Amino acid sequence: MNYLKFLAKKLLGGLAMVYVVVTFTFFLIRLMPGNPVLARLTSLLQSGVPYQAAKQQVAAMYGFMPHGPLIVQYFDYLGQLLHLNLGLSIAYAGVSVTHILMSAAPWTIFMVLLGLFFSFILGVAAGVVAAVWRNSIIGQSSTFLATLLHGIPQFMLALAFLYLFTTEWRLFPFGAPYDAAIHPGFSPAFVGSVAYHAILPILAYAISGYGGWTLAMKSSVISVLGDEYILAAELRGLTRGIRIRYVARNAFLPLFTSLTLSLGFMFGGAIVIETIFDYPGLGYLLNNSIGAQDYPVMQGAFLIITAAVIVSNILADLLYSLIDPRIRRA
Amino acid sequence: MAAVMEQSTMPAAPEVRIRNLSVAYQTSTGLFDAVHKLDLDIPKASITAVIGESGSGKSTLAMAMLNSVTFPGSIRSGTIEYAGRGDIVTFDRERLRRFRGEHAAMVFQASQDTLNPLKRVGAQLLDLARSHGVKDKRKVLREARELAERMALPADRTLTSYQHELSGGMRQRVSIIFALALHPQIVLLDEPTTALDVLSQSHVLEIIREIHRERGLTTLLITHDMGVVAELSDRVVVMYAGRIAEDAPSRELLRRPLHPYSQALIRAIPRLTGPLDDAQALPGAPLELRQIPKAGCVFRDRCPARMPVCDTGTPELREVAPGRRVACHLEVTP
Amino acid sequence: MASMNVQAKALPPLRRPNGWRTAGRVLVRKPGRIAGLVIILTFVLMAAFGPLLYPATLPSDAAQIYAPPSLAHPLGTDFQGTDVLAEIITGARFVLLSAFLAAFFTVVFGTVIGLAAGYARGLVDSVLMRITDVFLTVPQFPLLIVLSTVWKFSSPLALGFVLGITSWGGLARAVRSQTLSLRERGFIEAARGLGLSNRHIVTKEIFPNVAPFVVMNLLFATTGSIYSEITLFFLGIVPFSNNNWGVMLNMAFFQSGAMYTTSGLLYLMSPLACIMLVTFGVVLVLDAVDEIFNPRLKGV
Repeated sequence: MNYLKFLAKKLLGGLAMVYVVVTFTFFLIRLMPGNPVLARLTSLLQSGVPYQAAKQQVAAMYGFMPHGPLIVQYFDYLGQLLHLNLGLSIAYAGVSVTHILMSAAPWTIFMVLLGLFFSFILGVAAGVVAAVWRNSIIGQSSTFLATLLHGIPQFMLALAFLYLFTTEWRLFPFGAPYDAAIHPGFSPAFVGSVAYHAILPILAYAISGYGGWTLAMKSSVISVLGDEYILAAELRGLTRGIRIRYVARNAFLPLFTSLTLSLGFMFGGAIVIETIFDYPGLGYLLNNSIGAQDYPVMQGAFLIITAAVIVSNILADLLYSLIDPRIRRA
Repeated sequence: MAAVMEQSTMPAAPEVRIRNLSVAYQTSTGLFDAVHKLDLDIPKASITAVIGESGSGKSTLAMAMLNSVTFPGSIRSGTIEYAGRGDIVTFDRERLRRFRGEHAAMVFQASQDTLNPLKRVGAQLLDLARSHGVKDKRKVLREARELAERMALPADRTLTSYQHELSGGMRQRVSIIFALALHPQIVLLDEPTTALDVLSQSHVLEIIREIHRERGLTTLLITHDMGVVAELSDRVVVMYAGRIAEDAPSRELLRRPLHPYSQALIRAIPRLTGPLDDAQALPGAPLELRQIPKAGCVFRDRCPARMPVCDTGTPELREVAPGRRVACHLEVTP
Repeated sequence: MASMNVQAKALPPLRRPNGWRTAGRVLVRKPGRIAGLVIILTFVLMAAFGPLLYPATLPSDAAQIYAPPSLAHPLGTDFQGTDVLAEIITGARFVLLSAFLAAFFTVVFGTVIGLAAGYARGLVDSVLMRITDVFLTVPQFPLLIVLSTVWKFSSPLALGFVLGITSWGGLARAVRSQTLSLRERGFIEAARGLGLSNRHIVTKEIFPNVAPFVVMNLLFATTGSIYSEITLFFLGIVPFSNNNWGVMLNMAFFQSGAMYTTSGLLYLMSPLACIMLVTFGVVLVLDAVDEIFNPRLKGV
């Protein structure tokens, strides 16, 4: 009963947050200098389109009527949103925003998921090494490497990768998610090409996250190692294997939440890497939509990026309460 | 008490024999001994209490007895020989692991968080049994239940609980169960009843005494409470600044303490009857590690009977009667 | 406590040392800290006086495109034949000023909101924390990209403000939880019992206790803000109003192909090296600040 209440509270909070974001972007577009909707309408009228037709066209494009009281437009927009109708793109005339987002999202998910996976696994392992052997050379070099990589801004790392691997040594391709000569489909050639083109962005993403995970796991392990029950386990003569399991599970807990949250931030977190490697994911889409003045796409991309964070927030709370008995019963 | 008589008449081989033990802590300003050149025999099947203020080295001694002094501390010299087992200081890692929990077990000072918060109590008992290669794991659980009931804990609920579901007093009793689970010969109790209220305190002490007798345990009891000493122990070792000030059968020490520090400790006990002012707090405060003087008597700054010799001569711990040792320059007669 | 008496006898009396003197002593304890301070001071001087050394528009020389390092051009020239060193020196002011302003706004918003929520509790706390949640949830870069459509935050003040307003959430939460726990301590209870005004309690009793934490965050936020603003310029989100390191990077990478010519490498590397140096300096000084505020970490 309590758990359901907790669940309902979290979901409601998430919905409220989505609503705030939707409302924010809606009114932001109205604030824009030279309201893009009106600008579009004017340009249609000027090119000789009759008023009614122009109005309908603009309405279809943005998902709301350009005229009428703001409040009516607002509810109209919300109504369209409930049907997942985000309007039509301006840059790609006539293509629905939903469609554009759906074709960009897989690239981001694919790249970030793998990048996150590698950085997390390697980072956590290195963090354990850095903590357990912190007085030896191996632990200290692990810490040093992590601190160094954590201190380098993502764009710098990506630039270095780009320079070294595509220009200096020409080991990897650049600029497209797969070889244009290969027909997309589930053929080995296509999958191979996708993997080949994704290696650099994934590597850059993984390495830029690696240091953070290492340092977080290191401090978590060190704090658990200092806990009384680990000393108690040693004095009770528990085997090394059992003690390591005690430490690992307890140290991992706080990182688990960060991992779930990172999953949420992944949609928007890859803007820099996607832009540098010309990788056509959501971040790239969002950044380019500004240049192209494609506001419906911008609105949609921003919404989906934020919604991902909100969903992962809820997920983090729920999963954490499942794996930590102290929360579960409380 | 019977044990006292036994010990004074029959100098049997001690269960634990500590010689020249020094445990030092490394600090930024140098090495400091928390336990200094300590010699001590712990007789078999007795309850030996170690008493002293905080910082007297009594907890460090208990940790050293399991060879588990942690960084920045370390055993600098000496031997700790267990009858039939050898010198624990020389044990390798695996031998040490098997020894702990199986042959000698410890109940921690204020043991509130000695359990893995993510595992149920019963599962952790099984981990303990598995670590020591116990064949009959059910027996371990069954005995743990019995112990729990003896200590007035709801047995089934306790074993299926997580640590956070137990109260402070329950946790401390659970940690006593863990110490006794594998039938060790030697039990080290470091202030075992500090988290308990007065009533459960005497109840738990009573059970410790019962089990001690039933199993013929050799028990070392670390405490700062003279009341606990009086109630429970056969022998008492008074520690000050990492050294033994006095070592005597409990009754004799309580009746006639010889070292000025022991006298002060006993004067500090508040009595239930009589005016409260009769209890006199010890003047001054225990020394910090780095304040311990290198030469002379370590207690001299707080000693009411200070003499010139105390500043230069280090008093030897000398036997003044069978089973009674005192480290003081005063002429004492037991 | 009684232990103080004995200590006073056995050891020379502990005087509470002068703050500046302590800071000085802590700073010289490790040579790295002095190096850090020197680095920071160098860049601050560069930011303060750099632009005065050069004309408002740096001269370019079409005959000297991507010239190698020489006496006249110690770091070579860029794609227009402009001296790279001059661009670095004149570009420092914008980068450091806006980063500092961003850190300042972050710390001010975070501290004020955290203190208010933690001290007032109840409804005020709930409302402020929900707002904080929103700011913590919406990812910074996407939000800045969207904001950039309405607002051309290209002055240091505007850029600092916009970076500050999008990154105070974490600090507010931390300050709130510290305030909540301070509120329960004896001296705050006592102050309330004495009938001191809330304003006095918050500014004179609680704030000094969270101040060290806030100062540390000011330094952290400065390096974080340098990264953020450079990234914004690099991605081309902020319109270029004048020359700075971020613009140099953007030009080098997207516009002039410095990436692909060995001779242009210095143009690309110089701003990167400066950013790393500043960060390095801050990290080194942070170590000293940490020791000043948490002397317990020094070891026994």
